[in-house]
Amino acid sequence: MSIQINRRHLLAGAAAGAAASAIITMPGIVRAQAGPIRIGTLTPLTGSGGQYGPVMANVVKTIADEVNAAGGLLGRQIQIVSEDDQTNAEAGLRAARKLTDVDKVVAVLGTWASAVTTAVAPLCWESKTFLFTVSGADSITQLPHNGWLARTQPNTTLQGRKFGEFAMEISNNGKRAFFVMPQTPFTQSTFSNFKAVYDKAGGTAELLIYDDKKPSLRTEVDQIMRFNPDVLFVGGYLTDTTVLVRDLYRAGFKKPILGPGYSINQKLVDAVGQAEAVEGAYSMLPSPQEGSAGWKRVADITRQASPDPFSCQIHDHISMAILAMSQAKEASGQAIRDNLRKISQGGGDRVDNVIDGLKAIAAGKKIDFDGASGPCDFTELGDITEVKFRYEQVKAGKVSLVRIG
Amino acid sequence: MLTSILQALLNGLVSGTILAVPAIGFTAVFAVLRYPNFAIGALATLGAYAGWFANVRLGLPLEPSLGFAFIVAGIGAIAAEWLAIRPLEKSGALMMAICSLAVAIVIENMLRFGFGNDPRGYNVPLMRDIRFGDFRISPQQVENLGVALAIMALLWVLLNFTRMGRAMRATADNPDLARLKGVKPAMVAAITVMVGGGLAGIGGMLVALDSAADPLTGFRLILSIFAAAVLGGLGSIPGAVAGALIIGMAEELTVLLIAPNYRTAIGFLVILGVLTVRPGGLMGEKQTA
Repeated sequence: MSIQINRRHLLAGAAAGAAASAIITMPGIVRAQAGPIRIGTLTPLTGSGGQYGPVMANVVKTIADEVNAAGGLLGRQIQIVSEDDQTNAEAGLRAARKLTDVDKVVAVLGTWASAVTTAVAPLCWESKTFLFTVSGADSITQLPHNGWLARTQPNTTLQGRKFGEFAMEISNNGKRAFFVMPQTPFTQSTFSNFKAVYDKAGGTAELLIYDDKKPSLRTEVDQIMRFNPDVLFVGGYLTDTTVLVRDLYRAGFKKPILGPGYSINQKLVDAVGQAEAVEGAYSMLPSPQEGSAGWKRVADITRQASPDPFSCQIHDHISMAILAMSQAKEASGQAIRDNLRKISQGGGDRVDNVIDGLKAIAAGKKIDFDGASGPCDFTELGDITEVKFRYEQVKAGKVSLVRIG
Repeated sequence: MLTSILQALLNGLVSGTILAVPAIGFTAVFAVLRYPNFAIGALATLGAYAGWFANVRLGLPLEPSLGFAFIVAGIGAIAAEWLAIRPLEKSGALMMAICSLAVAIVIENMLRFGFGNDPRGYNVPLMRDIRFGDFRISPQQVENLGVALAIMALLWVLLNFTRMGRAMRATADNPDLARLKGVKPAMVAAITVMVGGGLAGIGGMLVALDSAADPLTGFRLILSIFAAAVLGGLGSIPGAVAGALIIGMAEELTVLLIAPNYRTAIGFLVILGVLTVRPGGLMGEKQTA
C-alpha cells in the first residue's frame, strides 16, 4: 500500500493541524467561556444519608435556577450536575472523579459523610475544584488542602464537648456516661472531647464501637446495661439507631438517651414504630439561623416547617460559590478559593441571599454574606467560627425544641 | 463474664436461626442450579418490604404477611432468573453470579424508588424482654425463632416426603440421571428458585420485624448468608442451618471478645478458613480434584 502525499493535501493537513493545536493551546478559560458554568453536588442520594441528599441537591438546583432566571453569573448560565455518593467513600470518589474530570465543575458541594469527604478532598484540591462540605470530622480541615475546602458544619471537637456538657446536664450531673457509635472518621474525636468533660468533672465515660450492619444489637445493649450509665449517647445513623433504640427498650433501659440530630429525630420515632421507646430522648444539632431570610427560603424549597441543617448549609454553599465567582469576575475553583472570605466575612453590606448579593457586587459594594445556616465566617483552615446548637427532646412522640444556644 | 457469654450465645442462637432461613434459600439454589445467587440479599429486602406492605398498609397480621413476603420475593426471584440470569447460562456460573449481583442492585434501587430511603417499622408492638434469672429474651425473638423453625420443618417435609422434594434432591444430586428418570429440570429449577427467593424474603422480613425494613436490609445480611452457606458446605441444606447457627453465635461473641466493628471480618475469616482447610464445608459434598 502506498500513501500519496501531494502539496495540496499537505497544505490542507497543515492548516487543520494548526487550527487544532490553536484550539488545544487556547487558555482553558477562553474555551470554557462558551458553555455554562458547571457546579457539582455530591450528596448521599442513597445509603444511610439518603434521607438528606435528595433534598440538598434540590435546594442547590432551585437556587441555581433563580440565578439563571435573573440573568446568570458573569453572563453565563449555571448548570448543576448532581451525583450520588451513596454515603460510601468508594462510590463517592468515583462520582467525584466524574465531576472533576468529565464535567469539569468549578466546585463540589455538600459531601455529607466524613468518610466520603476525606476521600474526595485530595481529588478536589489537585484538580483545583473547590469543596464545600457539611461533614464534621476534625481531621477534614486538618488535611493539607491549602484553602481548597470549607465547611459549614461545626467540627467534632466543639460538638463532642457540647455533647458532653449536655449529657451531664440531662443526667443531673451523673458521673457515668456510656457512648455508643459505629466506626466513623469522627467517632474517636467526638468521644475524646466528650470524655474530656467527664474527666474534668471526675466522672467516667466509656466507648463502645459497634458494627452498624448488624441486624440486632442485643449483645451491645447487654454491655451498656452492665456499665450502668447515668446517661447514654447514641451516635449512629438512622438505620442502626433504630435497631439500637428498639433493643434498648426491650432490655428495659430507662436512663436518659441523647444523640446527634441526624440520629434522633422524627424519622427515628416513625421508624421505631412505638413512640414510647424513643420518648424523652434528647438530640443536639447545629442550629440553622432560624428565622433568617435564607432559612425561610430553604423552608419554602424543602417544604419543611423547620428545615434540616444540611439543606440550610448547602443553600449557603451554592450562594457563596456564586458570589465568590461574581466577586472575582471569573468562573473557576481558584476564584472561589481566593474570594470566599471576601464575600462571607470582614464587614460590608449584610446580604442574606444570592440575588441581592449579586446586585451589591455589581454595584461595587463589599458584602458580608449571612446564610441560612449561620453567619458563614471561616477560619484559615476552613472551619466556621460561630455556631449555635439546637437542643430538642422527643415529647409525646413529637420532636420539640428545648432551647437554642 | 460467664453470664455474658451465655447471653451472647443465646442472642447468637436466635439471630443464627433467622439467618438460616435465607441461607437455606441460597444453598438450595446453588444445589440445583450450580451458581451462587447473590441477589438473595436483595430478595430478602424485597420480602421485608412486601411483609411491611402487607402488615402496615393492608393491615394484615404477621402470619399472612409472612406468606405475602414469601410469594412476592419468590416471584421476584423467578422474574430475575428468567429475565436476567438464565440467558447467561451458557457463559458459566461466574457470569450468572455476576449477573445476580447486578440484579441485586436493580431490585434494591427499585425498592428505593418505590418506598424511599427511610426505614419502615412494622406494626408490631415492641415488647419488653422476658427475663429468667440473669438471662433475657424478647417475645418477638421467640416468635421469630418459632417461625424460622417451623419453616425449616416444613421444608424438611417437602424435601423428604413429597414427589417434588425428591425430584429436587435428585436434580441436585445428578441432573442427567434425574432427567432420565423423567424429572423435568426446568420445572424443578423454577420451583427451587421460587422457594429459595421466598425463603430469602421470609428471612428479610424476620430481620426487619426485629429492626425495620430499609433498602439495605438484605445487603447487610449477604456476607453472613454466604459465610453460613460456605461453612456448612455449598449445596447442603443441613449444612446451611449449622453454618448459620455457628456464624450467628460467632458474630455475637466477637462483641464481647474483640472490638465489635470487626464483626464483618468474622464472615470473611470463616470463608477463608473453610476454603483453605475444608473446601467442601462442614456437610458439603466431597471435593474432587
